[in-house]
Amino acid sequence: MASGETQGDPRSPGLSYQQLLDTDTRPVPEVLRWQSEADVPVVRVPIERYTSRAWHDREVERLWKRVWQFACREEEIPEVGDRTVYEIADLSVVIVRAAPDEIRAFPNACLHRGRQLCDAAGRAADLRCPFHGWTWHLDGSLKQIPSRWDFPHVERERYRLPELAVGTWGGFVFVNFDAQAAPLAAHLGELPRHFERWPLEKRYTEAHVAKELPCNWKVAQEAFMEAYHVVATHPQLLPGIGDANSQYDVWGRFSRAITANMTPSPHLGGEPSEQDMLDSLITRSLDAEPAFRVPEGMTARQFLAQLSRAQLGASVPSVQELTDAELADSFYYTVFPNFHPWGAYNRIVYRFRPFGNDPDRSLMEVIYLAPFRGRRPPPAPVHWLGDDEDWTRAPELGFLTRVFNQDTANLGRVQRGLHAAQHTHVTFARYQETKIRHFHHLLERTLE
Amino acid sequence: MKLRHPLSGALYTLRDDGLVEVEHAGQTGVFAPTGAWRAGALRSADPHFLLWVGGPGLAPRGAPAAPTGAPGPAAPRPPPDLSRGAPGADPARRSPTMDLGLSGKKACVTAASRGIGLAIAKQLAEAGADVALCARGAGALESARKELEARGVRAFTETLDVADGAALRAFVTKAGETLGGLDVFVANASGGAGMGESAWQANFEIDVLGAARGVEAALPFLGASECGAIVFVSSTAALEYLGVPQPYNAMKAALIAHGHDLAQALAPRGIRVNCVSPGPIWFEGGSWQMIEQTMKPIYERALAQCAIGRMGTPQEVARAVVFLASPAASLITGANLVCDGGFTKRVQY
Repeated sequence: MASGETQGDPRSPGLSYQQLLDTDTRPVPEVLRWQSEADVPVVRVPIERYTSRAWHDREVERLWKRVWQFACREEEIPEVGDRTVYEIADLSVVIVRAAPDEIRAFPNACLHRGRQLCDAAGRAADLRCPFHGWTWHLDGSLKQIPSRWDFPHVERERYRLPELAVGTWGGFVFVNFDAQAAPLAAHLGELPRHFERWPLEKRYTEAHVAKELPCNWKVAQEAFMEAYHVVATHPQLLPGIGDANSQYDVWGRFSRAITANMTPSPHLGGEPSEQDMLDSLITRSLDAEPAFRVPEGMTARQFLAQLSRAQLGASVPSVQELTDAELADSFYYTVFPNFHPWGAYNRIVYRFRPFGNDPDRSLMEVIYLAPFRGRRPPPAPVHWLGDDEDWTRAPELGFLTRVFNQDTANLGRVQRGLHAAQHTHVTFARYQETKIRHFHHLLERTLE
Repeated sequence: MKLRHPLSGALYTLRDDGLVEVEHAGQTGVFAPTGAWRAGALRSADPHFLLWVGGPGLAPRGAPAAPTGAPGPAAPRPPPDLSRGAPGADPARRSPTMDLGLSGKKACVTAASRGIGLAIAKQLAEAGADVALCARGAGALESARKELEARGVRAFTETLDVADGAALRAFVTKAGETLGGLDVFVANASGGAGMGESAWQANFEIDVLGAARGVEAALPFLGASECGAIVFVSSTAALEYLGVPQPYNAMKAALIAHGHDLAQALAPRGIRVNCVSPGPIWFEGGSWQMIEQTMKPIYERALAQCAIGRMGTPQEVARAVVFLASPAASLITGANLVCDGGFTKRVQY
C-alpha cells in the first residue's frame, strides 16, 4: 500500500485523473473535464435484492415493464421488413423496420392463440404467425386471417398489434413496454452531449459475444462498474493502470467512471518503468523480448496514444485531434438500468439481463463497436458461448478475453456466497463504488 | 513464459508440460493452471493470476523466432543519388537517350500528398507532366501542390477520401477537364494494413474499387490520348506470405488480376496497363518507420529478408511507376514490376 494512506481520506493518494489530463499532448475537450456535484445516499443494499424471486418479480413489473432499455442496433434491421427479437425475463418483443425511417416494436405474441409471432431475426413483407397464418402489416394493422368468415367477432381495428414505445440514439434502438412513457430523450438526459465527440451511430458491430452467467444480472454488471476490483482480480494490470485514482461521476440516470491506463497503480510499492506499464497491457513474459518498445524520451501513455492514432487513422478522420487520454484510457458509462456504452475509442458496450425468471442466472453481452471507412460493414452475428466455453473461445474480443475470465470467475462464487451469507446487507465503497450506489438509488426509486 | 505477480512478487513459470511453477518467499509449488492453490502460502489473489496465465493452449508461447539474416557484407549500399548535383554527375555528359516523353502530358495520381504517391507526383512533374492529385489531408495536399508548381508544371488538387466513389469519379473527371485531358492514371491509394471486417471493407473500397472507379472515370480521357497509360500500385504482400493473413494482401492481389484484365481489354484502344509491386518501403512518417519504432523484431525480420540489405525508398518506387506510365515503356503492358530489392524469393518468370 502507498504510504500516507489513512482511513477517511476522500480520495486515493497519487495523481488525480484531472491532474493527469493536464499532461496531455493535445487540448483536452470539455467532456473529460465535467465532474458531478451530486452524491447518492445508498451505502448498503439488502442481499435478497440479488437472490429472491419476489424481488425479481418486482423488477419485472416495475422496472423492465416501465424503463427504456437497449433492444438492438439499428444496423441489425437496415431494410424495410427486417425484424429481430428482443427478450428480457419472460418478455419478448419483435422489433421491425416498418418504413425506411420508422422502427416499430410489438409484443411477440399472436392475437389469436398467443404463439410467438417471430422466432428469430429475418426479413419479410409482413408479420405472419406460423401457427394458423394470421398476418399483420409492418405497421401493426391486421392484414389477413385465413377463413376470415369464421371470425365475425374479430374487428379489424381492435386487432391491431399493441405497440411498445420506440426511441433511437447513437445507432441503438431502445424500447419501453410502457407506451405512455416519457420520451427516450428525457431518460438519456445529458448523455448525448457526452458522446458528441465519439458518435456511436458511426460505428458498426465488429464483435458481439453473449454468455450465460450463474449469478444475478446485477451481480454481473456491478463487476464492470468500478476499478476497485483490479488489485485483487487483475493484479497483472497494476503496473499500467491508475485503478484507485479513477474518477467517478453521476448525472441523472447515467454515471461514468474514468480509469487511466499507462499510469501506475497507487497500490504498487515501487515505481514501474514506462516499459513495465506497456508490458502489463500486453502480458509480456519475463523471458521474452517486448513486442513493443517505448521509444526513448516518450512516456508509455504517449506511445500507446501514438499506436492507437496509427491504428485508427484509416477510419477516424479526426484522429490527430484526439487526446492521449481518449486513446489510452477507459471511459465506462452506465445508463440505467443495464446499458454500458464506453466512451472514446475503446469500442466496448456491455449489456446485462436477467435470464428468464431465475434470479440466479443472467446474460452478459460484450459488443465491440468499431469505426469504419467507406461502406458500412455488416454487423457481426451474436456468438453464444456455451457453459463449458470461457471467453478465450471468442478470439474476436482480443486480449480482453483473459481479463473477462478473471472477472467472471468471481461471479458464480459471489452468487453462492450471497446465498450462504448470514449477514443481511452488502456494502459499497463511498467513492470507488459510486456508480453502483447510484444504480441502486435509481433502482429503489423505480421500484418503490 | 514467466510472469511476476506485481504485488506478492511471486514468480510464475509456465512449463512445457502445461503446469505452472510458482516460487514465492523461498517456497515453490507446481499447479495445473486452472487448479486451486491449497497450500495457503500465497496470497488469495494468486488463483486469479493463474487464471490469467491460462491453459497451455491459451498462453502466448514465447517470442517470435529471431531473424536469421544471411552473413554477408556488413554495410548495404545506400539508394543512389540521381540529382544533378550528385558526386560524379557531369551535366555535360547527361544522356538524352532515355527521354521519358512525358513533357506536356497530363497525369492523375490518387493519395499523393505523402510517401510513394508524392514521390510519383514529383517525378511526373520533373519529367514535365501536369499533375492532378488527391488526398484526405488538406494541409499536406496544399504543400504538395506548392512543391509541384515549383517544378514549373500545373497542379490540380482536391481533398477527398478515395473510399467515396462519387467524389473520386468527380475528381478524376474534373482533373481531366481542368488539365485539358489525361494521359496517365496512377491508382496509388490504399486502406493500408489492418485486420477484421472493416479492414476488408476499407481495402476493397480503397485499393480495389478506388482503382476500378478511377480507371472508369479516366477512360474517356485516356482513350483520347496518344499514349494512354494506367499504373496500379500493388504490393509484394500480394505475392508471398508475409506472416499474417490480411485483407490488404488479398485485395492487392485482386488489383494485379484486374490490371492484367484491363491490359488485354484496353490494348486495342492504345491504353497500356501495368502494376508496380513495392516491397518494404521506408520513409519518414511511413508505416515501416512506425514498425521499426514499435515492433522491432518484425522490422528486423523484414530487413533481413531484403537481399540488398536495406529497404526501398519512395523515390525508387516512383521511378518504376513513372517509367511504366511514360511513352518510353510503349511495349510494356500487363506487367507486374516487382520493385523490392530482392525481398521476395520466388523466381519471376
